[in-house]
Amino acid sequence: MRVRGRRSLLGAALAAALLVSAACSSSGGSANHGALSPKSKTGGETLKLYNDKGAWSDYFKQVGALAKQQIGSNLDPVGYTDENTYQAFIKASLRTKVKPDLFTWATGGQLKSLVDQGAVADTSKVWQDAIDKGYLTRQLEPYYTINGKQYCVPLNVAYWGMFYNKHVFDQYGLQPPKTWDDFQNILTTLRSHNVTPMYQTSTLFSFVWFEQLLAGSDPDTYNALATGKAKYTDKPVVDAMKMWAQEEKDGDFTDPSVKTQPQALLKSGAVAMVPFGTWFNTSMTGEGEKPGTDYGFFVIPNVNPSLAKTSMVFETGPLCALSSAPHLQDSISALSWWLTPDAQSKWAGSRDDVSANPKAPITDSTLAEVTKAAGSGQYNLINRYFEAAPPPVLTAALDAFSAFMVHPDSYMDQLNTIQKAADQYWASAN
Amino acid sequence: MTQLADAGPTLRTAPAKPTHPGRRLLDGVQAWLYISPAVLLVAALLYAPFVWTVYLSFTRYDGLGNPSWIGLKNYTTFFHDDVLWVTVSNTLMWVGGTIVLPVGLGLFVATVTYRSKRGSLLRLPFLIPYAISGAGVAVVWGFILQPHGALNDILSFLHLPGGHTSLLLYRPVNTIVMIVAATWQGVGVNALLFLVGLQSMPEAPLEAAKLDGASGWSMFRHIIWPLLRPLTAVVVGLSIVASLKTFDVVWVLTQGGPGRSSETLAVTMYRDTFVANEYGYGSAVAVLLTLIAAVASVTYLRTQLSSKRNVSW
Repeated sequence: MRVRGRRSLLGAALAAALLVSAACSSSGGSANHGALSPKSKTGGETLKLYNDKGAWSDYFKQVGALAKQQIGSNLDPVGYTDENTYQAFIKASLRTKVKPDLFTWATGGQLKSLVDQGAVADTSKVWQDAIDKGYLTRQLEPYYTINGKQYCVPLNVAYWGMFYNKHVFDQYGLQPPKTWDDFQNILTTLRSHNVTPMYQTSTLFSFVWFEQLLAGSDPDTYNALATGKAKYTDKPVVDAMKMWAQEEKDGDFTDPSVKTQPQALLKSGAVAMVPFGTWFNTSMTGEGEKPGTDYGFFVIPNVNPSLAKTSMVFETGPLCALSSAPHLQDSISALSWWLTPDAQSKWAGSRDDVSANPKAPITDSTLAEVTKAAGSGQYNLINRYFEAAPPPVLTAALDAFSAFMVHPDSYMDQLNTIQKAADQYWASAN
Repeated sequence: MTQLADAGPTLRTAPAKPTHPGRRLLDGVQAWLYISPAVLLVAALLYAPFVWTVYLSFTRYDGLGNPSWIGLKNYTTFFHDDVLWVTVSNTLMWVGGTIVLPVGLGLFVATVTYRSKRGSLLRLPFLIPYAISGAGVAVVWGFILQPHGALNDILSFLHLPGGHTSLLLYRPVNTIVMIVAATWQGVGVNALLFLVGLQSMPEAPLEAAKLDGASGWSMFRHIIWPLLRPLTAVVVGLSIVASLKTFDVVWVLTQGGPGRSSETLAVTMYRDTFVANEYGYGSAVAVLLTLIAAVASVTYLRTQLSSKRNVSW
């Protein structure tokens, strides 16, 4: 019995030790992600590129293959499709050994919160080099500058306008509008033929038409909202919401709960126009649609014709390296390479999108014209609301705009709700 | 019984061996070593996250840096939240709806089919949806419930009202149709549980009731239903807990919107934690939700399974 007891004891101890060691080494799985590789290694590493654009994995892989050829480092995408899960992972990675080499993020308050933690690698030298070579413009620099230093590089840029179904426009004799009155005539014509003029959604992109109307009528107030110097209850904001409410009641938009993809709706002609960023071109070509033949793109005219320049919403998403990236040197080198014409031609060209690098050719002629005009200062570029609004205000606003779409007459209640969140934020921020 | 009674004195009079103190210590250590893996796993995977969540609920934390202690502020904020009434009433609708529909229909399906020769075939369609995840069910029902979706089209085709109604837009219709979607999935497993209860029911009271002339509804009302009470209590108890934490169907179909109109407490917890990045506030909602679920289920089960109300088989 004594011998059996000792054996049992030994067996139990061994089992416990094995389980504990297995539990303690659970992070060993990260070795498969390359996260535990020594920092000292440089050159030829496979860099894990975590991103919230899971649908773009093929495009990332194409650029990754080119990177392997040109700089020796492959870019291996790890794509997420759920934004919230992705953000939670990136934040958690700061406290664990499973860290991305490169990762996508958002400019504005979200980038600042990471920089404030010292989590993002400084890319000031990369920026200066790229600007010197003409790969980036000074115009983009403020979006990536925090406390005088640059962090991350542009993953993409996008100009927001209106995609429209050319067949529907041709059928009813419509042309892209030059003025707001032209645009109103388009809406009236489409409604009279029982065609839903514009797409809208109550999830995530509920802010789109708000920013468009306010930026097109009073861009100064729009910009002042982002810094807390204007209130959501100020007259220009209320007027924009009143206008939007009338359009909702007129039937200018799709049902906001529609779950069919906007590219499918636009392709079928179920909706005539979709107000989105130029990245939507990727979705349309993915549907087999031909730009210039099946669909087109126009810059939405200002509501207020007395404004000197047409307001055009602009967004840019960053590609970043963690300051504690497993292969920091390679990651910084990859970011520098990312901006080159070769890399950008592959990246933007494969998606039929525009590029942050003015030297990269743009395959779509309409988007090329818009990009050229934007680069020459023809438009008043407006920071997209998603990046411009402080995160707590944005969360409240997305819900409020979504509720407004269902009950357009509640615009004042919704603006008060957003202002309440803004008051709380700016009180704590100041 | 005789054998057991005879064995008793033998067990009681078995001579107790004197135990050496060192041996007892060794036995104790051995016992702890045996259970330590399980204890460690439970502590690491269940207790530690719960304790951490409770701690976070007293802090302000956005997932970056270190949490800062703010006492009870998250809890007071919760009770002053403008949408508290909406989320609580939606959650109560889910609790009520889940008890009435999936449990009620599950009982109906089990009762109607359990003596049928082709009962298993009849129950099969109700069981298959249970194999699908909640998110999958929501995706399928999204095609049915969306504007110009399958349900709208059917209603329009049949010239019935509702063909142009946006089912996911307006409160409380959006919550009601999502409860229906969850019912589609939940009926089968409840029917299965009730079937187990029906099949393990003693024959004697059923035969006696038949001899007394009971049949159909009177048999169900006066014999089967009372005999099923303990099982019903468990099924309803499980449903209460499941409905209080309703998340997947709502998140996939409406994300709690539009404008938080279909939000439940579990969706509030997720939204505040991962969308608004207020991990502290989200943790407070999680703690409150846990307390509500624990109190509701324990109170209900204690009431229903107390010896006075229990029906002996």
